Amino acid sequence: MNRVTAAPVKGRDFNSWIDKRLPVLFVAPVVGILLTLAIGPLLFIFITSFMSWELVSAAAPQFIWFRNYLNIVLDSRFWNAMKNTLILLVGGVGLQLVLGLITALLLNREFKLKRVVTSLFLIPITIAPVVVGFQWRVIYHESFGPLNYIIRMLRLGNGFAWLADTRTALFSILVAEVWQWTPFVTIVLLAGLQSISPRVYEAANVDGATPWQVFRRVTLPLLKPTIIIVALFRVMDVFKIFDLVFLLTGGGPGTASESVSLYTYINGFRYFSMGYATALAVIQLLIVTIICMNLVKMMKVRRA
Amino acid sequence: MLRISRRFALVVVTMLAISLLSLGGIAAGQSRKPFEGIKIVVFGDAGQNLKPFEWYKDKIKEESGIVIDQVVGVPFTSVYEKLKTEFVAQTGAYDVVVFYPAYLGEFAGLGYLMPLDDFAKKYDPKLDDVSTGVRELNCKYGGKLYALPYDGDVLNLYYRKDLFNNATEKANFKKQFGRDLKVPETWEEFLDIAKFFTRKKGDKLAGETLKEDFYGSAELAARGFSYAWWLARFGSLGGVYFDEDMKPLINSEKGVKALELFKESLKYSPPDVMAYGYEELKNAYLEGKVAMVIQWSDIQKKAQDPRISKIENRSGIAAVPGSRVGDKIVRSAPMPVGRVLAIPRTARHPEAAYWVARYLSVETSLHDVSSSETGLDPYRKSHYANPKSFAALLGNEEAAKEYLDIVAVNLENAYPELNIPGAGNYQDVLDLYINRALSGEMTPKAALDAVAKEWDQITKKLGAARQKEIYLKAVETWKALGIWQ
Repeated sequence: MNRVTAAPVKGRDFNSWIDKRLPVLFVAPVVGILLTLAIGPLLFIFITSFMSWELVSAAAPQFIWFRNYLNIVLDSRFWNAMKNTLILLVGGVGLQLVLGLITALLLNREFKLKRVVTSLFLIPITIAPVVVGFQWRVIYHESFGPLNYIIRMLRLGNGFAWLADTRTALFSILVAEVWQWTPFVTIVLLAGLQSISPRVYEAANVDGATPWQVFRRVTLPLLKPTIIIVALFRVMDVFKIFDLVFLLTGGGPGTASESVSLYTYINGFRYFSMGYATALAVIQLLIVTIICMNLVKMMKVRRA
Repeated sequence: MLRISRRFALVVVTMLAISLLSLGGIAAGQSRKPFEGIKIVVFGDAGQNLKPFEWYKDKIKEESGIVIDQVVGVPFTSVYEKLKTEFVAQTGAYDVVVFYPAYLGEFAGLGYLMPLDDFAKKYDPKLDDVSTGVRELNCKYGGKLYALPYDGDVLNLYYRKDLFNNATEKANFKKQFGRDLKVPETWEEFLDIAKFFTRKKGDKLAGETLKEDFYGSAELAARGFSYAWWLARFGSLGGVYFDEDMKPLINSEKGVKALELFKESLKYSPPDVMAYGYEELKNAYLEGKVAMVIQWSDIQKKAQDPRISKIENRSGIAAVPGSRVGDKIVRSAPMPVGRVLAIPRTARHPEAAYWVARYLSVETSLHDVSSSETGLDPYRKSHYANPKSFAALLGNEEAAKEYLDIVAVNLENAYPELNIPGAGNYQDVLDLYINRALSGEMTPKAALDAVAKEWDQITKKLGAARQKEIYLKAVETWKALGIWQ
């Protein structure tokens, strides 16, 4: 008898065990892949950042706790690179947002060839960074570049050694960066502008609002979430800036235009100081995460 | 019953005999090829200098049976990082690697390369024919042979013969400096001449009104190899990298003076000289914008090419200026880049790889260094003894002889690159601070003090005892060559 009643109990237990764990089983492969592909390398980087691992020497990696981080804090070249990155970040993203907003507002009205003009705006985004770097190298060339040619033609001076002068190298990179990515900001903001209901503007007009008041009190507040999203993308991107710096100046003259990403690359793949390079990478990751978390927080506050 | 005629039988037997003999012949021929069917992969900096591997593919296959399966090129500045990554991961991806000898100490010292002495006994690389500097500094490490020479890069002085021989310019120079205008022997003379030839648009130069500014000299001052242009001055002043206890001597009085001399010369260079790498420096000279440059050996060949040069038949070549020590002039010609051929320890077919490396270093080298299609430069005595091969490229045999003699002299005055583990790191730091001093970010003294401090840190990081041991091995060679006084 016992045997007869025991079987269904066991079956029920098994079924409820399956019911409880089935979702876990379904999710497990995805979690496994995520752990292997995303979290795994991240963990490896965190662990390596606490090590002295010099691939140039035959010495085995050593655990040195926070010494790499301490050395970074004391490294004047790192702070110089950080300063350059922040100049590019604030100047570059700031200019892109201002210019992007202006062009988006101009494109958000009906005119002939609007579609063509909007499509043309996409071109810089689609160009490979290597090509952009080469193109601006030619533009900035002291002897043959069109920029100095125009300056000479207008008798404004003899031109500048744009990429070879400590005073202009970083600024030159910033201009190339703004040129390439302002259209991206424009397109995203244009989409944001087009999602604002025309009724809101009609109501503002009925209330007698001036164009400036409409922009300040209606357009800007409604566009703010889009601005934050596009700023988020650009901040993440500019903070990692490598290609334009590498192609235009190589960080020079001296370290006048060296970015944190380039400095990390130099430590990793020229000096092969894997511990120090990964510690630099971790610091970058933390900074960009903090900036992005604050931007997301701002967005949530706006929604609330 | 089938009856076979005697004649038919004779024909069949003869044909069979011929077939067997020819098959035997082919087999015998095949067995003479020592590496039949072996495939090898070559690695180096992409572009003109890997061309010889493509040119001789068929010939190499015909003579040895080796198939050059792939020639992998990477950008000029990525050679170290790419090779190092492959070596660390022990991929065995390459059989023959072309790289710059500055990395030889590290690659050989860490066991990434195969010593070639045994192969050299079997297939003679004719090292006695190679310039001493190239052979001892670029190919050997710790007394063992690790590489075969492929490119004899060395710095030379190039000057505009037409300007130096112009009667008006000569008279004006004598009036201004109280001595004859001639190719500079010392760095001080180099500066005087550079200053003399620096003119503004509208001024006269050799009787002609200038349509744009003209400069006395130009240097390679961009990040990357600017340290070598400083080394030319530092070496001539008797400077060395470290003392025998690995204390950096880079910031000595000699180092500071060398950097001051280098910085001074930028006053007479085009305004964008801080962005001048190889291409920009070459173009400034070939476009007739400057009177003198110090550059690699291929520039004289390029100066004669009317497709890219506006100074055809007007370029002279001379020994790199030096420093006066007593009544002697000590010269020092650095050898930045300069390619060598080596075999990774992980190569799948080391002997076949060596065979190919030797073929390029010995059998075809005269053609390759005298071709306008490569950037490879002479490094063998047999190259210097063959001005005929260079005549077409340099205008005539006399010009070719002058060129080869000067290259040989500069190679005999060769100044070594630092080739110990971490050389890339030491050189990059040196280059960085030289660049900062040149751009005015730091004073020469402060810049070189910073280099010394960072070099100390690198040495400690890589293990001071081991670094010292390896450095002292290099010093032995330098002492033997008279570089270390």
